[in-house]
Amino acid sequence: MTDSFAWRLTGRCYRLGHDVPHAGGVVPNWIIAGRHFDPQELVPHLFEETDPGFHERARPGDIIVAGRNFGMGPKMNGYIAMQALGLGLVCESMPFLAYRAAIGCGLRVLTDCAGVTDLGATGDELEVDFRDGFFVNRTRDIQREFPPIPDALLEVVALGGNAGWLRHWWAARQSAPASGAGA
Amino acid sequence: MLTAVEKTLALKSGRASVKPGDVVYPEPDFVMIHDGVVMAAKRELDALGITRLAAPEKVVMVTDHDVIYGSARAAERGAFNRRAAREWGVTQFFDVGRGGHGHIFPMETGMLLPGMFYFDNDRHSTNAGAIGAFGFRMGTEISRVLATGTNWVMVPHTVRLTITGRLAAGVHARDVGFRISALLESGALDADLDYRVLEYAGDLDQFDLAARAALCSSPTEMRAYGVFIPPSAAILEHAGSRAQRAFVPVYSDADARYERDLELDISSLEPQIALPGGVQNTVDLREVAGTRVDHAFLGSCGSGMYEDMRAAAAILEGRRLAPHVRMFVAPGSEASLRRMAGDGLLRTFIEAGVVMLPPGCGPCNDAVVGPVHSGEVSISTAANNNFGRFGAKNAQLYLGSPATVAASAVAGAIIDPREMRPMQRQSNRSPAIEDRPT
Repeated sequence: MTDSFAWRLTGRCYRLGHDVPHAGGVVPNWIIAGRHFDPQELVPHLFEETDPGFHERARPGDIIVAGRNFGMGPKMNGYIAMQALGLGLVCESMPFLAYRAAIGCGLRVLTDCAGVTDLGATGDELEVDFRDGFFVNRTRDIQREFPPIPDALLEVVALGGNAGWLRHWWAARQSAPASGAGA
Repeated sequence: MLTAVEKTLALKSGRASVKPGDVVYPEPDFVMIHDGVVMAAKRELDALGITRLAAPEKVVMVTDHDVIYGSARAAERGAFNRRAAREWGVTQFFDVGRGGHGHIFPMETGMLLPGMFYFDNDRHSTNAGAIGAFGFRMGTEISRVLATGTNWVMVPHTVRLTITGRLAAGVHARDVGFRISALLESGALDADLDYRVLEYAGDLDQFDLAARAALCSSPTEMRAYGVFIPPSAAILEHAGSRAQRAFVPVYSDADARYERDLELDISSLEPQIALPGGVQNTVDLREVAGTRVDHAFLGSCGSGMYEDMRAAAAILEGRRLAPHVRMFVAPGSEASLRRMAGDGLLRTFIEAGVVMLPPGCGPCNDAVVGPVHSGEVSISTAANNNFGRFGAKNAQLYLGSPATVAASAVAGAIIDPREMRPMQRQSNRSPAIEDRPT
């Protein structure tokens, strides 16, 4: 199913700077403290504190381009909202557990993209292939190759994250009960 | 040419060798799940129809984050957990008052041994490094581990930190961890610990198991995913004398490749204090000596072993808390608590005016017990002092070693524990007499 998944996103760049924290940056702190995980509930609050109404302007395929140290804290609330809006995420760096949380939400995400915030401004037309790591800024005619999503993690993303992966795993076991537990 | 974590992950994944960045699926020796997250995990799996676990005999369910049920919701969770253990067939279920802190008692009982690997939902499973093992945090993905037996693990890099010199008297392994955090923050120790294993080397024989747990604490707050302290002869003897099964200790190869090689001499280290907001805000204690405190806490996964209790008791012996201070103590395990009852430590704490909490996280988890109010000042051995950790957002939370916390609770202000020498026990002493620091 990884072959039929839409690994390439085409949309507008939404550029953020460095050190955007998850709590109080991606989503308000009360969202995290209150353990809100419902996508419908989360979407209106994505980037609410820095850019109210972001969710109304965002279109599926748009790509958040962030700097270093994005999403401090292994929280997933913001990534659930991004995924529900059909967005992708490209950043110069993020704490690994934040990256793991994003993958676990089925978010198309690239990290360790050195200097990517210099490669586009908010509104530029981008095309990013998350399986190959190809980043294209059509507006400025810039192409780069960044580290892609590791092959071993493609399946989790293609299945919509951890929940989808578990559902798929369980269904496969139901139809082939002789297979063993494991990866 | 592998580091300890690379060797461990290779062994547990059936590979000859692994390198940082590889994705592996290690088979764990056990799977730990803490009281606070059982409900969410079980509901998630039940909703998918996954009612049977891959290996219920490997699951260790502990009750440490909210032991005495600080709310009706916690009591509901407790009842749920008991039902979950039954329905899942989990026999290694440590309910209220049994076992204690999941990051401590397994190392005391011979459940967690050198060379082992396990999954945990909680990130302080880094404590396993104290006994030369690895516990990796899975957060909410613990549900996948429960259902399938494993999960994807990206092999982390290893940063080696060589310790030279001996700790001076009155200075504690927690002080070492605090100092390391400050040096990492300033760049004096040039490394980023995010998702790294911090592996200690050098003059480590001076550190017993409790000191090693202390060395695991602050690096975890600096985002280390694992900490490893190669087991000394003493640690191997401790493990061997109580091992519940055979074990094979793991050590890094002599030609292992480290991402960074750091050094730290601790011979001139003084007692440290982490200023409010994070362990990286560490200064020499002398810079904040005299700061008045209202609240003190001894315990947490970083300072919950018997030796930590004993270090504090040595200072509290024959003394009483300052009149305006309340102090809470949470030993790490039921076994330690029993030992403290037999050795006189419990009496020392009680006569000093300490409030005993059950073995577990104490206020360090979400301030479910023993919280602080707005504007209050706390000194503790908690894992971290992020704003709001003990309740009120604008409380001032300081961190220190067990001795520092005990001395400061007696003085009513932050004080160097070396200024408070052990008292002689006097049988004709009136308990109402207040003690001044000597």
